[in-house]
Amino acid sequence: MDFITGKHISRRTMLKGMGASVGLPLLDAMIPAARPWSRSEAARAADGTRLVCIENVHGAAGCNDLGAELGLWSPKEEGKDFDLSLSSMQPLDPFRKYLTIVSDTDCRMADAFQPSEIGGDHFRTTAVFLTQAHPKQTEGSDLFVGTSFDQIYAQRFGDATPIPSMQLTIENVDQAGGCAYGYACAYTDTISWASPSQPLPMIRDPRAVFEQLFGAGGTAEQRAERLRTDRSILDWVMGEMNGLRRQLGAADRQRLDLYTENIRELEQRIRRIEQQNTSGDEREIPEAPVGVPDSFSEHMHLMFDLQVLAFMSDTTRIFSLKMGRDASPRVYPESGTDSPYHASSHHGGREDRVRDFEKINRYHVSMIPYLLEKLQSVSEADGTLLDKTMVMYGSAMADSNLHNHIRCPLFLVGGANGLLQGERHIRADAGTPMANVMLTLLHKLGIDDIENFGNSTGTFAV
Amino acid sequence: MNAFASAAFVAGLLLLGMAGPAGVGAPAFPVPSHSAAALGDDPEAVNEVVQEYCVRCHSETRRRGDLVLETFDAASVASSPENALVAERMIRKLRAGMMPPAGVRRPEASVLDDVVLELESTLDEAWEKNPEPGTRTFQRLNQAEYASAVKDLLGIEVDVGAFLPLDTKSANFDNIADVQMPSATVMEGYLRAAGQIARLALGDPDAEIANTIYRLSRIQSQRDQVEGAPFGTRGGLSVVHNFPADGKYVFHIMPYNAVEGEVFGRTFGTEHIEISIDGERVALLEIDRWMRESEPTGLNIRTDSIQVPAGPHRVTAAFIRQFEGELDDLIRPIDHTLADGQIGIGYGVTTQQHLQRLTILGPFEVTGVSDTPTRRYVFSCRPTSPAEARPCAESIVSRLATKAYRRDATDEDVEGLMSFYDEGEERGGFEGGVRLALQALLASPHFIFRMEEVPDGVRPGEIYEISDADLASRLSFFLWGAPPDQELIDLADRGDLSDDDELERQVLRMLADPRAEALGGRFAAQWLRLQDLEKIHPDALSYPYFDETLAEAMHEETVHLFNHIVHEDRPIIDLLSADYTFVNERLARHYGIPGVLGTEFRRVEYATEQRRGILGHGSILTLTSHANRTSPVLRGKWVMEVLLGAPPPPPPPNVPDLDETEGAEDGRFLTVRERMEQHRANPACSSCHNMIDPIGLALENFDVTGAWRERDGGNLVDPVGELYDGTQLAGPTDLRNVLLSRPEVFYRIFTENLMAYALGRRVEYYDMPAIRRITRRAADEGYRVSEFILGVVNTPAFTQSRAAQPVVAQTPVTTS
Repeated sequence: MDFITGKHISRRTMLKGMGASVGLPLLDAMIPAARPWSRSEAARAADGTRLVCIENVHGAAGCNDLGAELGLWSPKEEGKDFDLSLSSMQPLDPFRKYLTIVSDTDCRMADAFQPSEIGGDHFRTTAVFLTQAHPKQTEGSDLFVGTSFDQIYAQRFGDATPIPSMQLTIENVDQAGGCAYGYACAYTDTISWASPSQPLPMIRDPRAVFEQLFGAGGTAEQRAERLRTDRSILDWVMGEMNGLRRQLGAADRQRLDLYTENIRELEQRIRRIEQQNTSGDEREIPEAPVGVPDSFSEHMHLMFDLQVLAFMSDTTRIFSLKMGRDASPRVYPESGTDSPYHASSHHGGREDRVRDFEKINRYHVSMIPYLLEKLQSVSEADGTLLDKTMVMYGSAMADSNLHNHIRCPLFLVGGANGLLQGERHIRADAGTPMANVMLTLLHKLGIDDIENFGNSTGTFAV
Repeated sequence: MNAFASAAFVAGLLLLGMAGPAGVGAPAFPVPSHSAAALGDDPEAVNEVVQEYCVRCHSETRRRGDLVLETFDAASVASSPENALVAERMIRKLRAGMMPPAGVRRPEASVLDDVVLELESTLDEAWEKNPEPGTRTFQRLNQAEYASAVKDLLGIEVDVGAFLPLDTKSANFDNIADVQMPSATVMEGYLRAAGQIARLALGDPDAEIANTIYRLSRIQSQRDQVEGAPFGTRGGLSVVHNFPADGKYVFHIMPYNAVEGEVFGRTFGTEHIEISIDGERVALLEIDRWMRESEPTGLNIRTDSIQVPAGPHRVTAAFIRQFEGELDDLIRPIDHTLADGQIGIGYGVTTQQHLQRLTILGPFEVTGVSDTPTRRYVFSCRPTSPAEARPCAESIVSRLATKAYRRDATDEDVEGLMSFYDEGEERGGFEGGVRLALQALLASPHFIFRMEEVPDGVRPGEIYEISDADLASRLSFFLWGAPPDQELIDLADRGDLSDDDELERQVLRMLADPRAEALGGRFAAQWLRLQDLEKIHPDALSYPYFDETLAEAMHEETVHLFNHIVHEDRPIIDLLSADYTFVNERLARHYGIPGVLGTEFRRVEYATEQRRGILGHGSILTLTSHANRTSPVLRGKWVMEVLLGAPPPPPPPNVPDLDETEGAEDGRFLTVRERMEQHRANPACSSCHNMIDPIGLALENFDVTGAWRERDGGNLVDPVGELYDGTQLAGPTDLRNVLLSRPEVFYRIFTENLMAYALGRRVEYYDMPAIRRITRRAADEGYRVSEFILGVVNTPAFTQSRAAQPVVAQTPVTTS
């Protein structure tokens, strides 16, 4: 599934010899060897840090008392000479130069505050990860949690690219028993919140991601024409909406206005993609992927491919990615255990079962090097895309056997434009909110005028 | 549980209708099986019962179930939303017989019945004086509705999952308005869909070369002919594919590989796959059984390019059947699925090849777009001179808009769309113009949103009747999951639809229409959570006969039974008690029912009582199991949530998993039951599990896949238990009988779900009086399904709405 092969095959060649290669996502062979979308020097100078926020539900085996003792997540050593050989993060060892592990921070906003909230941890935790705020218990549209980390960054700097940010997911959200105990499904469906009351839907189909990035159509002319058409339809839709507005009640009108805002944003996006498509050098756009792959790793790899493509073409700089769903019964046959994810996370603190769960944690982390390799293979003027990217990976759950939220797993990987020194393991003092880490990262990312994020109590030296 | 979120605008409404607590008479409705003599109209007596039996646990200090009853007053239950909410929660638990819990002192059953009746009659009378229709924001077409609207409009089936983000569910359903949050991604999805569908529907001479992959699951049986495939074939797949243009297409097939990358089933001999279009063979491909995945071409086999005309055509890729009858192998892989890839390379076992996927690539060398049913329908006129073009387009656009907008299209509607015709006509002539107008129409807010008009002069907070056009849409999306047909649109246009008799006539007409099958496929399937079946993959070694073919049959059985009940207008209780079901050969074999052959579903009668109703359906029993063992807890929880409407509270953290309890003792394996009992010895767990587990344990004779079993791990299954109300259970029949002995609970939960689905909003506490009225009235007609449906359609919540207040800005949750 490795698509950035360094060997350039044009679409035409591809079709001539198609006998062998059809069936694979055509991305594989289509990335030209050299970076195709060179931009002006000025644009390159303004290159912001690319951000990928990855959520993994159910914490980690190493965040359980026994698991910690066995060193299944945090290495024993702090500082530079940490040993990952026992840890689920071991697959990251080849990239340790880029790795910052932050151990022992808490996500207490996922705790129950009221009696009615007790037991609802699985239905709150996802919403807490990037907001570090406490979700309001409701099944209705009066959702309330917080603006998420990725969105704060996107709202400040997302303007630089055609699409401010994108949200991806791996697992289906269609699960009737999946959100309960008085919590709306939106809290479990997404990790990105444009405002405390505005969850952003996450896309699962790689094809849909692709068409958002580049537009639909087979040739540059087709794409241009279709984008133009889309824009004129949107103009007209806005007019129609205004007409409709008169006949509606107050609440409907408010909702309609929200749609209108979104349409305006969409228009902007299309306009910018149009501009980007027509400016600069000729762009070679790879063939679109088809459908959702069955296998978890294939799906992850394809989503990573698309993220790399988006970064290369500078269509967006910010992604959030949800790897799974809380209380998911998914089995990962490639991980080496066939226990379902949720059942396995309730390991009862028994060593053999803790170790079994750890296999899944390690398997999940083992997806990340693929992204890092791809980023590293794309050279920028003065380095690689990996040097410009910050990947944040974590969970607002710690010991999922107890449903607790203290000493949660979190690591940062990638050169992050020099914002992080890398090759470091930092252990936080007991009781440090994860929000402190995120606040500090926001400062580093250039949002230095905010003093609080979620339940932060201060900054944190990373 | 927080089922009834209180809505601010209702505050005080209940007060208006109530002169005071006095004047509450005996229940005004006949209630089967118990009378209301003892406590009658005496709220004080109710208070005494509550004080004596309930407040010990439901006190300010203990707050069991997050419910405090110390200051409860039966006389004022209708005086505020908070009180009404508490009373409805009490009614629910008491009706289900769950309170007071086992082991705690309980009054006589008749006393509790009287308490319930008193609470219900107080609330119901207040509601009758001041019925509350509630409100919600407008809906947008979800994935399923969008697909059926497109099918209705253009006659083509599209995979909308490729465009629209997944629908967020609430209260079981995917059509709940307030969780359909606006986002740029959603709007982008509709926009992209509009472009693709317009091109697909009318054909596209500029169609780009694209590939479409159809996959088959590993665990799908490929032994028999599949639906839609020609006779004389086995396995493979058969799909209706939309070809965008006349041109050449290439078909690729890929067989499944065994473990090391060789073709699965290569020991069988040479096999052939036939590709057919609309039943005609267009290619026969030989599968080289020695090919390997590691070769440069992998396991791909392709046809030459084949000319196919535009439009939807049935494409089948299936193996040529080489023999009939039973196999006489020493080892017989059950149903020959691919659950175990290893056997596919050994000799001595008959393993046949499996198709993994079919890819359709094209078009190349487009020659044009020939006639298709959709084009014939859309192009109802053809201009013969330039002067005729625009008027012809106008008539087409006007006709399509009326259908798509679910009301008569106005001149303005047509004018707006015609500007796209003009734009498209410049670039692509007459057809290009119509196509662009269609694209705009599919992106129009009139199509994708289901707006409901508030009549002039209605102020926020006032109740109004919804318009006939909106009523037509509510009806058709409820009963058909699709837009209204011309008859409904015409009736609405004349203002006749809201007439009581006409409304009833239309409901009955719609229920008799095949489109009403959406009630089974969409409503019942979501209510009963059949979609969870897809997530369960029983362990291949313990349950080798389980495959997707069987899972699909299970799903179909339950949907089929529900649709049968609707179609025949049977009493809804049949869902629990039916002594018949619908099976095909595969499922009949699974249940041990003899004499059913072929893939067609047909009605069979049960010889014994064990499997009656949905509690004996493989679908329900499988979706409530783990991969490697049954789960009495999940089964009990499912019954409590889905059939009783009283979900158990969430488990406390740090619950050791059942698997942690030792699986064997004294040299024998423990049954699931014994392991659970060990597990339940923990008092933190037992208070709830005493309620949940016996329900599930009564179903222990059904294994993970719903097959009947006498033994579990070598030991006899012991399904005996005591229900929360003290009833002794000794198997599925007893459990069913207990549920049937409190049918009112089932009728209400059914009505509640029906309401939520019909209205596109969650049912709130103030809907409960309406629900009780529906079930009361249905009683007169023997609880036939149509009575419930008519009841919902006639309820104020369906025909009226309350003009909403603007939403007040949110305040953040205070954090501790």
